Amino acid sequence: MRDSLTIWVNGAAHNVRDVWRPLTDFLRADLGLCGTKIVCVEGDCGSCSVLIGRPDAAGKQIDYAPVTGCIQYLYQLDGAHVVTVEGLTPTAGLHPIQAAMVACHGAQCGFCTPGIVIALGALGQDRLCDSAEVRRALVGNLCRCTGYQPILEAAAATDGLNWPALTSRYPPESLLPKLLTAARESLTVNDSASGLLWHKPAMLAEAAAFKAAHPDCAVICGGTDLGVRANKTRRAPRVVLSINHLPELHTVKRTKEKLTFGAALPLSRVEELTRADFPAFAAMLGWFGSPQIKNAGTLGGNIANGSPIGDTMPGLFVLNAKLELASTTNTRSPSVINTRWININEFYAGYKQNVLQPGELITRITLPLLRPDESFVMLKVSKRRDLDISTVAAAFWLRWAGPATARVITAARIALGGVAATIVRAPEAEAALVGQPLSEAAFAGAGQIARGRVQPLSDVRGSAEYRALLVENLFRKAFFELSNTGTNATEAAAPVPYDDFQSSTTIAIKATSHNGSIPPSSIPRR
Amino acid sequence: MPYVGQNLPHDSAAGHVTGRSQFIDDAPPLRGELLVEIVGSPVAHGRLTGIDAAARAVPGIVAVFTAADIPGHNRFGPVVVDEVLLAHDELDYLGQPVLLLAGETRAALDAAKRLVKIEAAPLPPIFTIAAARAANSYLGPERQIARGDATAAFASAPHRISGQLAIGGQEHFYLESQAAIAVPGEFDALTITSSTQHPSEVQAVVAEICGLPFNAITVITPRMGGGFGGKETQGAHYAAMAALVARKTGRPARIVLDRDTDMAITGKRHPFLIEYEIGFDDAGQILAYDARLWSDGGCTTDLSFAIMERAMLHSENAYFIPHVRIRGQVCKTNLPSNTAFRGFGGPQGVAGIENAIGEVAAYLGRDAYDIRQLNCYDDNERNVTPYGQIVRNNTLPPLFDQLRANCAYDARRAAITRFNQSSPTHLRGLAMTAVKFGISFTKQHLNQANALVNIYTDGTVMVSTGGTEMGQGLNTRVRQIVADALGVTYDRVRMCATNTDKNNNTSPTAASAGTDLNGNAALDACHRLRARLTEFAAGLLADPAAGLTPSPGNIELCEDRVWDQRNPARAMTFRELVTAAYLQRISLGERGFYATPGVDYNRDTGRGNPFLYYTNGAAVAEVCLDRFTGMLRVTRVDLLIDIGLPINPGLDRGQITGGFIQGQGWCTTEELKYGANGELLSHSPTTYKIPNVGDVPPIFNVNLFANPDSEVSLKKSKAMGEPPLLLGISVWAAVKDALQAAAPPGTLARLALPATGEEILLALGGMKNSNAKLVNYPQSGFHLVVKD
Repeated sequence: MRDSLTIWVNGAAHNVRDVWRPLTDFLRADLGLCGTKIVCVEGDCGSCSVLIGRPDAAGKQIDYAPVTGCIQYLYQLDGAHVVTVEGLTPTAGLHPIQAAMVACHGAQCGFCTPGIVIALGALGQDRLCDSAEVRRALVGNLCRCTGYQPILEAAAATDGLNWPALTSRYPPESLLPKLLTAARESLTVNDSASGLLWHKPAMLAEAAAFKAAHPDCAVICGGTDLGVRANKTRRAPRVVLSINHLPELHTVKRTKEKLTFGAALPLSRVEELTRADFPAFAAMLGWFGSPQIKNAGTLGGNIANGSPIGDTMPGLFVLNAKLELASTTNTRSPSVINTRWININEFYAGYKQNVLQPGELITRITLPLLRPDESFVMLKVSKRRDLDISTVAAAFWLRWAGPATARVITAARIALGGVAATIVRAPEAEAALVGQPLSEAAFAGAGQIARGRVQPLSDVRGSAEYRALLVENLFRKAFFELSNTGTNATEAAAPVPYDDFQSSTTIAIKATSHNGSIPPSSIPRR
Repeated sequence: MPYVGQNLPHDSAAGHVTGRSQFIDDAPPLRGELLVEIVGSPVAHGRLTGIDAAARAVPGIVAVFTAADIPGHNRFGPVVVDEVLLAHDELDYLGQPVLLLAGETRAALDAAKRLVKIEAAPLPPIFTIAAARAANSYLGPERQIARGDATAAFASAPHRISGQLAIGGQEHFYLESQAAIAVPGEFDALTITSSTQHPSEVQAVVAEICGLPFNAITVITPRMGGGFGGKETQGAHYAAMAALVARKTGRPARIVLDRDTDMAITGKRHPFLIEYEIGFDDAGQILAYDARLWSDGGCTTDLSFAIMERAMLHSENAYFIPHVRIRGQVCKTNLPSNTAFRGFGGPQGVAGIENAIGEVAAYLGRDAYDIRQLNCYDDNERNVTPYGQIVRNNTLPPLFDQLRANCAYDARRAAITRFNQSSPTHLRGLAMTAVKFGISFTKQHLNQANALVNIYTDGTVMVSTGGTEMGQGLNTRVRQIVADALGVTYDRVRMCATNTDKNNNTSPTAASAGTDLNGNAALDACHRLRARLTEFAAGLLADPAAGLTPSPGNIELCEDRVWDQRNPARAMTFRELVTAAYLQRISLGERGFYATPGVDYNRDTGRGNPFLYYTNGAAVAEVCLDRFTGMLRVTRVDLLIDIGLPINPGLDRGQITGGFIQGQGWCTTEELKYGANGELLSHSPTTYKIPNVGDVPPIFNVNLFANPDSEVSLKKSKAMGEPPLLLGISVWAAVKDALQAAAPPGTLARLALPATGEEILLALGGMKNSNAKLVNYPQSGFHLVVKD
């Protein structure tokens, strides 16, 4: 029986007992791997990006994904394989993306660069880099020097298909069984002198028993919020229950009526899962955050955290999402699990307050599928388009009747984020829409009603006046989204299309080779 | 082929991409090393009444220092000596350092910090330019630059527009925060490794604080993880804190600010308020411009006067204006002292005139590009700046023409007009703005540099300059210059970390002049070395028997080979030459020096030739706004800039794309928000939004304007560190252009900078929300909306 956590870093195993600290501290201070930089300690700049490899659901291979190491605490990483920039760099020479970054001037001051290399290195594992994919991959990596253009050129100058696979550097044959064993093992580490306790159960029942015995413990799923809080207060939670690895929380089931999935699925997986049935939800996850955050964060954690500005929440509200809550009353023989289902609309009791009983965990989430006579749209307003928290978020769900040319709204659900202590529904506006034709006037009228009912606060993200105006305007915007009559109304439709004036006479910045000299095409020859 | 002009990678690039490049906090801890933590003022303004440092008792805490422990002077400042390292009486901003904790572990410091109580008697604080003006709270006298008779010109001008433009500050967001390590040595020496743009300033401040002579202090700067002006003066404070701890304890000390603290207590780009009036005729010819510039200097002077000066010197930008009056006043507030930031006041001055010109066009119903071309400096009589400097080698008019044609401006303007008439959901805007950025420090004495070039007997070369490397590629460019000048291959030249014991009394790496100054100083050293080696080689390669007498004029040094042109077959290697020279006791080291010729400026009269030359450019930005949310997308940018003949085109292009996007951030999403007590609310990347990859315009054309005639500058190159940042203003101007398309007839859209979604939506939704009033100008009978 282990009494310490086992983490693999660049192929080598390390046993650690002091698990109440961020991965980056361990990498830099204990292992001297200083390529991983620390800047914001809140997962918002990407300088600390590392690849984390874990066995896939079937236990057949190791899946690597970039995450921000600063908010990954060691207690989340038993049985994980961490690859840092040092571990991505070949023993001799440079990785192709590194060579391209050198040749294309993708690095200036160099501080964000290892994180960029990791973010792009992750991309090249199994697919060719196209420009949209490169941009998505880099959403979570801030660079203050280059203006990103040289980095985009570097990515464009390499062929991801020809990149060396991580599996050739770190053969899964030897590593995978070890990771599987560690990941599946129940483990408790405690430091009784200082009252620190960490438990990693092997199964849900064990988790529920621990929660029942320690109702005030920090339940860590993705930890993207708790990690930030621990860093900023310089206090990690003392009693920790890790549940992100539990197989029961990774299930997926789709029937004709509903889509049900485990609460510990990372958001990046939820984005894929919802793309077909709930494209608006998947699109919102597209804006939600960086790959690094979505690879760590989970929908269950997002719900439990209960932020009143959570981007996904308004959508879950109007879809009438249901949450499965599990607990056990018998901590001695924790095989008896009690479950109950609750509509998310009844889940919150106040600012970051919910109706979870002390021993309960969120285990699954169910979304009723949309019928052909139902429409669903989600909107987000933020200061920066990507990787920003909503100023106001909204979701609209409508059921309608009648022919396409004369549709009448028969039911409406509308939820707003960022305007109150919790996500709120807009019942008066919903009522005002019922019986109305699908028209801009109807939405404008309902928007005015909704605006009159909210009393948002002024804060760093926006004034009360701005938020109130947004509430009203988002109804009109929703109309154009729903009726699809607006020009470029959809935010998700990346660059605004150009009609007849595409650049023809100038030459865009473009890397032409990656052999060390990339003459910009328009620079005069000496 | 010479190395100058080649597109060589940054000389740290391989280290950067592998993570091997070492920054301050990557250094392994030294034996006995202490960590330093700051405890700051609990109020933005007040008097210090007590410090309860129970923290001393925390295990692992080695020392606690207050102002009383400073062995030297607790007063310094780059221009005016008005700063303290640790507050001892008056508290001038929230978080102002009061006490230093030195501890053996991070945990000890965290525990100790919770125990420290600083007591203060609060005084009424000032947080805004408006409040400072109301309280007559200024850091110095008002300055003026004037030409002609603006008052008379306004009186006779057919049209006048007046208004005010509020301009926000900007956080540098260098990725590596302020950091330093101080190591005590023998004979009272202190060696400081600092993330600074100005090692000599760090040396001076550390010496003052520690009560040591300058020659006891060595400051080393291997590199910075970004600077952007934020480490020109303000790196010194933190280095001095580490030095104080090292000096007092005799142990190495390390300070690394966490991101939130760095953002909360270090200075930013100065917020400005510009009150302006512009007079013009029916054709759009500008007749007069009057601007009063107010900046928020924060609580101390720092570089605020020089920054205001540069704002004033750029207030006419690329445009000839016959009658001008520019006044500038720096306000004193209870915020961290604002400081240098790429552009150094230039962006604010340029935003003022570009905004006014946009309004002239809107007023006349003309395209603003026409107005800009009409008023652009030319090469004849309309080429003298308001401060009397003649604009020479003026590339602006052809550059304007070329950009307009190449980006299909007029066709796109027509398409955008059609779009705006038909789209119920979005608005588009299109605008060009220009830059004519003066290169040189406006403080004459800073325009000097020295460099050390040492040749070793194996033929390798070590170069040091006072210039610091922050990613801009200075070291790479100097290597290129030195390799050519000595006739050696590039890989034989190595740059050493910037170090005050090699280069003394250096200027900050700033004002875009790093390569110009340090490259010229290195070149000076190389020229003398080369002359000496050539003379010596002439003797070695002479062949009197064959009738070849020693002839230095015929000696070539190139790519490690040395030969006499008259007998190329008999060549020797550079290594052979320098080894032979050494044996003949010929010096193989030189110190070079450079002082920029002919620059001077009198700030009292507002006249002079402050600049060696100008870097010129222009950009056209196109934006798309969401009418419902105010959210902005920059859809296309075309940028054309004259940087002469680049020393390293790839590095220069990186400066251009990076500078532009940084400017775009300042103009759009980067908003500093403060709470009621003066606390910075946007103190981390979660709340302070610098551009990310999604903000890069999907079409981003960067082109260089061919100018082989920039005779006055280093290798005919031009500085390009700061100028591209000012072109980010084109994005803001494009937003305003879009808003103008939605403005009611007869009104002018008004917009503050940055154009956040909120600013845009409130501007769109209503001029009704602004305290607008109608003003009737009798000359034109035209009604304007003017914001108070």
